Amino acid sequence: MKKIIYGILLLLPFLLPQMVDNPYYIQGILCRIIVYAMLVASLDLIVGYIGDVSIGHAGFFAIGAYAVGILTSTQELNSDSSMTWFPHIPFFVALFIGVLLTALAGFILGFPALRLSGPYLAVVTIAYGLLIYTIINEQEYLTNGTKGISLEPIEVFGVKFGGSNYLYIVYPFLIMVMYVIHNLTKSYWGRAFEAIKYSEVAASSCGISKSYYKIWAFVISAGIAGLAGGFFSQLDAYVAPNTFSYNFSVEFLIALIVGGVQSILGNILGASVMVIFPDLFTKFNDYRLIIFGFSLLLVLFFMPKGLAGFVNLIKKRFTKKKDGHYIEALIERASAVKLFDELKENNDQVAVQLKDLTMRFGGLVAVNELNMTIKKGTVHGLIGPNGSGKSTTVNLLTGIYPPAGGKVQLFGKSIIAESTYKRAKLGIARTFQNLQLFSDMTALQNVMVGMHNSFTSNLFSICFNLPKSQKEEKNVETKAFAWLQFVGLEDIAFTEAKNLSYGQARLLEIARALASNPSLLLLDEPAAGLTAGEIEKINILINKIKESGISVLLIEHHMDMVMAVSDEVTVLDFGKKIAEGTPNQIQNNPTVITAYLGTHETSFH
Amino acid sequence: MEQFIQLLISGIAQGMIYSLVAFGYNITFSTSRSFNFSHGNFLMLGGVVGLIFFINNQVPFLAMVLAVVFVGLIMGLILYKTSIEPSLKSKSNYAWILATLAFGIILKNIVEVFWSTDDFRFDSPLGNAPIRIMGIGVLPQEILIIIVAICIVVAVESFKKYTIFGKAIVAVSEDKHTASLMGINQQFVILFSFLLSSVIACLAGVLVAPITMVGATMGTVLGVKAYAVSIIGGLESGYGVLLGGLIIGLSEAFTARYISTGYKDAPGFLILILVLLFLPSGIFGKKIFKKV
Repeated sequence: MKKIIYGILLLLPFLLPQMVDNPYYIQGILCRIIVYAMLVASLDLIVGYIGDVSIGHAGFFAIGAYAVGILTSTQELNSDSSMTWFPHIPFFVALFIGVLLTALAGFILGFPALRLSGPYLAVVTIAYGLLIYTIINEQEYLTNGTKGISLEPIEVFGVKFGGSNYLYIVYPFLIMVMYVIHNLTKSYWGRAFEAIKYSEVAASSCGISKSYYKIWAFVISAGIAGLAGGFFSQLDAYVAPNTFSYNFSVEFLIALIVGGVQSILGNILGASVMVIFPDLFTKFNDYRLIIFGFSLLLVLFFMPKGLAGFVNLIKKRFTKKKDGHYIEALIERASAVKLFDELKENNDQVAVQLKDLTMRFGGLVAVNELNMTIKKGTVHGLIGPNGSGKSTTVNLLTGIYPPAGGKVQLFGKSIIAESTYKRAKLGIARTFQNLQLFSDMTALQNVMVGMHNSFTSNLFSICFNLPKSQKEEKNVETKAFAWLQFVGLEDIAFTEAKNLSYGQARLLEIARALASNPSLLLLDEPAAGLTAGEIEKINILINKIKESGISVLLIEHHMDMVMAVSDEVTVLDFGKKIAEGTPNQIQNNPTVITAYLGTHETSFH
Repeated sequence: MEQFIQLLISGIAQGMIYSLVAFGYNITFSTSRSFNFSHGNFLMLGGVVGLIFFINNQVPFLAMVLAVVFVGLIMGLILYKTSIEPSLKSKSNYAWILATLAFGIILKNIVEVFWSTDDFRFDSPLGNAPIRIMGIGVLPQEILIIIVAICIVVAVESFKKYTIFGKAIVAVSEDKHTASLMGINQQFVILFSFLLSSVIACLAGVLVAPITMVGATMGTVLGVKAYAVSIIGGLESGYGVLLGGLIIGLSEAFTARYISTGYKDAPGFLILILVLLFLPSGIFGKKIFKKV
């Protein structure tokens, strides 16, 4: 029922050209809102989902607009121009080429974006925008320089789509763009974007390749911006370079924030404000930017979710929360899930072997020629005083730091050359000493990020929400829920991670790590800051994990816990291994006692 | 050869303007990890205030400079209170970019509405006649710019190095939390850095006015280029801006002469992108090890 109402509402604008006689309102206002909304939505992918600031989207927009402008140009309309090339090809072919060209430009911008963030990336986007602007301005034989290009209206099979009829062309594209963005951002791709935004380290530990997703995000965003640009060129049937200035990029950034990030409604609202506002208050047009500036400041500090957040707040009053049926069905399905997959049959009895592993920070040797073996299916404790190199060892194992020397082998294979996300794919999962949850996502979504590598749907089937990807999403959700049940967090499955208690957050980190189906689990101080009761829960969990055949490396300061669950313990001090053996041997080792408590003389004099 | 030296000198003068403006970004970035994205509009305000006092109302030069410093202080304070402080409190890591952008847009629009949208000449008190040395002509204002820019950078860097308050600034930029444990008022240090940065921007406005003309739009492009300069040199380095300024200033002067004036900005931005591809925190930036 709800879907039918939405469907009818979506179709309504198609009637507008018949009902409203004035082409100014349809082409001048409505079509402009539609084109700008696409551009704002493309910016949202970068700013809202990836979390980088781009002040160069006007450049992408310009490439799209000029591709269509140049490729569809005719000599008759530009007779006194300095242009020498008039291909005059059909609009949609030109549009397609424009989108490809802009996507390519986005691909090129993606590379600096991998290593840069904040003000460093922002300046690169500005530089890109200005370079594109300069090229358009100067290549007069292609673009007619500052004087611009005049276009003829679109003609498809003899039907002209100028004036109000232009709505029939742009509106279906708006729906398609928004549908694709909606599906993309709600899928495992969207969660990967979000994960990278909150914590690159945690995302790569879940097997997410930052390079892959970030570059794709720039390609998709640029492509959509180029599409919007192509349509823009037909709004006034004229393109000129001064439209695509630095200020244009800034205004769109403002429109995005005022409308509200991560929201299709917000994108449309932001674009509408930008178009309608100056039109409504022509008298105040001089003050337009003052009002824009003030509204941006107000939204930034008092309405962080923008106008859309305000609308959603009202909507929430009239709609119910996630209904009980949904959760019941989830519980029902989760009961049939088998959690621990069969571990790959592996004759190697050694899970991890470290040989002469060394790490230096400047002059400090954090880990010094460490040799250690974790036997398959065992719990290996790693202890030592603060600063003895335990967490550094974990970071070397997961590939966050490049070691200064030595070898790391996983089931007999050297993994030293692999990056963090590849090691996660090979079966290493971890938790973090200082929690690294994706705070705006629900507990369930956090676990689903952990299961990132079990997704196989391709980009196309995600964007159009094909049955295959729907089914996959449902299966993963079910299994993620089962993992929450495993650690005892099913009641807070739909609570955002930032609202969890400390103990719950620690358990969620374990669930997320387990969900990636690892063969080796690294627990970095899982009991830090927990109560005795909570520690007992973690002990039981570790034993269950061990029973499933997963090898565990446990770093912990709670000696009772380490001694109770470990099969073998290694002790580090100042980056060097000082002892190794069964818990019993370690407890009676005089070197270990000295490292922890000091010698007899120093402690009593 | 003469032409080459001529280009060299005007490139250096232009570069030093960029360096001086860029220095304002560095001062606040080191203390607060943020800066005024509308720094160029602060420069514009300095130019406008200077013009109103010195040219329109014939106020003595020194009194005009004092007035400009005063305006810089007030604007710095307002910027800090309305944009920086709330941004640093908010969780978003790009709020400061948008907030200072908004502030600058408002400022520029106010100047346009309540003052003028035209550009005005600002005659240098040092005169417009170039000084000729061996056939090479240099404007006295250009020499003044080079001297003042270098002096301000050296003065502030020495202040940071040799005075106790300067060391407090360095401490805050190295490690905020430890600095506040040592009894340093972190908020005050950040506020101070914004005041200093605003005053320098306003003074730079007066300094460049005779060369660029004064108008509401005079700061936008300058601000963006100075931003590039600051990033090339390294946002966390002090003297890096001087090198960054030279790179952009010289590349502009030589491109305009030997390739085309339309493309004069392009090499600078290409250099920026290349530098960042290989040195993500600029030429003199520090490489940071992320703790996990």
